[in-house]
Amino acid sequence: MRLWLGYLRRTPLVAFLLLYTVVTGGPFLWVAAMSLRTTPEILDNPYALPIPAHWDNFIDAWTTSRYGVYFLNSLIVVVSAVLLVTLIGAMAAHCLSRYRFRANRLARMIILSGMILPPQLMILSLFQILLQFGLYNTLAGLSIAYVATQLAMTVYILEGFFAQLPQDLFDAARMDGYSDFEIFWRITLPIGLPAVFTTVVLNFIILWNEFLYAIVLITEDDKRTLPLGIMHFMGSHQLDVGMIATGLMISMSPIIVLYALFSETLIKGMTAGAVR
Amino acid sequence: MAVVTLERLSKRYEGASDLAVKEVSLAVKDGEFMVLLGPSGCGKSSVLRMIAGLESVSSGTVSIDGRVMNHVPAKDRDIAMVFQSYALYPHMTVRENLAFGLRRRAVAGAEIERRVHQVAAKLGLTPFLGRKPHALSGGQRQRVALGRAIVRNPRVFLFDEPLSNLDAALRATTRNELIKQQHELGTTTIYVTHDQVEAMTMGDRICIMNGGETVQIGSPLEVYRNPADTFVARFLGSPPMNLIEARLERSGDGFAVQSAGITVPISRVPPQRLAAHAGRPVTLGIRPEDLYERPPTELAGRSAQLPARILAVEPLGAETLLVLATKAGNEELIARIGRETLLRSGGEVMIVLDTAAIHLFDRDTGKAIAEPA
Repeated sequence: MRLWLGYLRRTPLVAFLLLYTVVTGGPFLWVAAMSLRTTPEILDNPYALPIPAHWDNFIDAWTTSRYGVYFLNSLIVVVSAVLLVTLIGAMAAHCLSRYRFRANRLARMIILSGMILPPQLMILSLFQILLQFGLYNTLAGLSIAYVATQLAMTVYILEGFFAQLPQDLFDAARMDGYSDFEIFWRITLPIGLPAVFTTVVLNFIILWNEFLYAIVLITEDDKRTLPLGIMHFMGSHQLDVGMIATGLMISMSPIIVLYALFSETLIKGMTAGAVR
Repeated sequence: MAVVTLERLSKRYEGASDLAVKEVSLAVKDGEFMVLLGPSGCGKSSVLRMIAGLESVSSGTVSIDGRVMNHVPAKDRDIAMVFQSYALYPHMTVRENLAFGLRRRAVAGAEIERRVHQVAAKLGLTPFLGRKPHALSGGQRQRVALGRAIVRNPRVFLFDEPLSNLDAALRATTRNELIKQQHELGTTTIYVTHDQVEAMTMGDRICIMNGGETVQIGSPLEVYRNPADTFVARFLGSPPMNLIEARLERSGDGFAVQSAGITVPISRVPPQRLAAHAGRPVTLGIRPEDLYERPPTELAGRSAQLPARILAVEPLGAETLLVLATKAGNEELIARIGRETLLRSGGEVMIVLDTAAIHLFDRDTGKAIAEPA
């Protein structure tokens, strides 16, 4: 009787989780199924299972549809942006959390205010600036824009974590003879690794899927990133649904791998501040 | 080997109206073990951090071997510090923790290895060299923190309450270990604590601080026997010195103090020092161990009896504490008497006090009236 009651009490939660899984996982499975079918097959019956499975869709997409180029572009832009934003953000967070200086609070406010502004608001001025510096329509320009957009969140997460590290550690390192930069490099960064890692994964996911800045700041096909490449198949008159699905699967794969490998570290890093 | 001299050292923290440290002057001799003792917030840690170079000096000077250090960065002062939290680098093994300071100082690899092993052997850390701090017990962490200071072979050791995170048993053994190491190395040491037992047992000299100022500097027994004011009198000793209200009066050629309904002649203090206080209220201090249930024979001729009610009897095994209230004035006293007592709480007793052990303090300033003869 008690056992039965226990089940009953858990039913709403289980029902909610089931619903959530269907809502989030359903479209994913649907796209995965479509990625293995041809467009005529899909138009004939959108919900059928991929029998027979056309694995060569992936090879087609990679070779004929230039997904290889888009993938490489995405990789270059996102990896360089994540590296830069992590390094700059960590240094800024270290300074803001560790040093008492005159404009500390002002500097923090200016950096963090970057989180308040919607990206649409900045896109025009960003376009102008990149044009002036000859960075418009270049991978470097897009990468730099990404660094700027993600810096606020990165500093916000890292500063919260770094501020919890005991001051004694830094004093001890100073007594041991280390300079301010060495202390950052050898103490803050290694100890703050869980938080640093969280920002790396978060930034990677966000930037890998970024569409708005990419479509405004990149026009040449050679320099398109994956989200733009996928849109390429959405012509005004025809829609190559099969190729889009295949492209989406290719695009999602690095994120899924990343999350599968590091989900535990990610959750640990995000909750570290709250629990302690 | 170094002499550390502080001259009128002051510290004002940004945004604070009061000085955290007020004109502290102190000379620590070469090889000396100096303890800075005081309640929390008395400025002792600020003094230590200024010596270390972790905190800027607001005014006055810190010098080591005659050289003013005010603007020398912490890393160039050749000082090692042991922190209350140990401050071990959590991402490094014990070996790396010990070697970290040496590596920065361009010591050759083989020499680092030799010194790390030597210190590890000295402190019994050899089996743990490959472990990280989280896999060590509190005592082991403490030894790593100590080892990290020793391995550098600095001119001065600074300790900031290094034992306060240990349990009582471990604290006693670590205390002895620390004393032993310091004697072997002979390095000038400045040790901050709020624990009077640590101060009494470890220090060659004690510097007692209160409210950012030095109150008294001296050897442990000197300070214990001749406290400069009522603060020191209460701070050193457990249970602390009893302080009761009294009046100083002339009596014949000399002086006597009237308190709790009795009159006790003062023989210990030169009369010329007492003259200014005659006829005025003073504070009488007597340590719990100078109160007796029965007068021992060596007290002949210098004892007085004080009627009191017994509020509580606290047998501690080796001794018994009596909590008393004087019959006149109802002031609380604590007496430390022998373990074999038949006294019970609620009863009355004529407690015997050693008149030669009486301390007198100015009621207004709290300063001791009688400097040691």
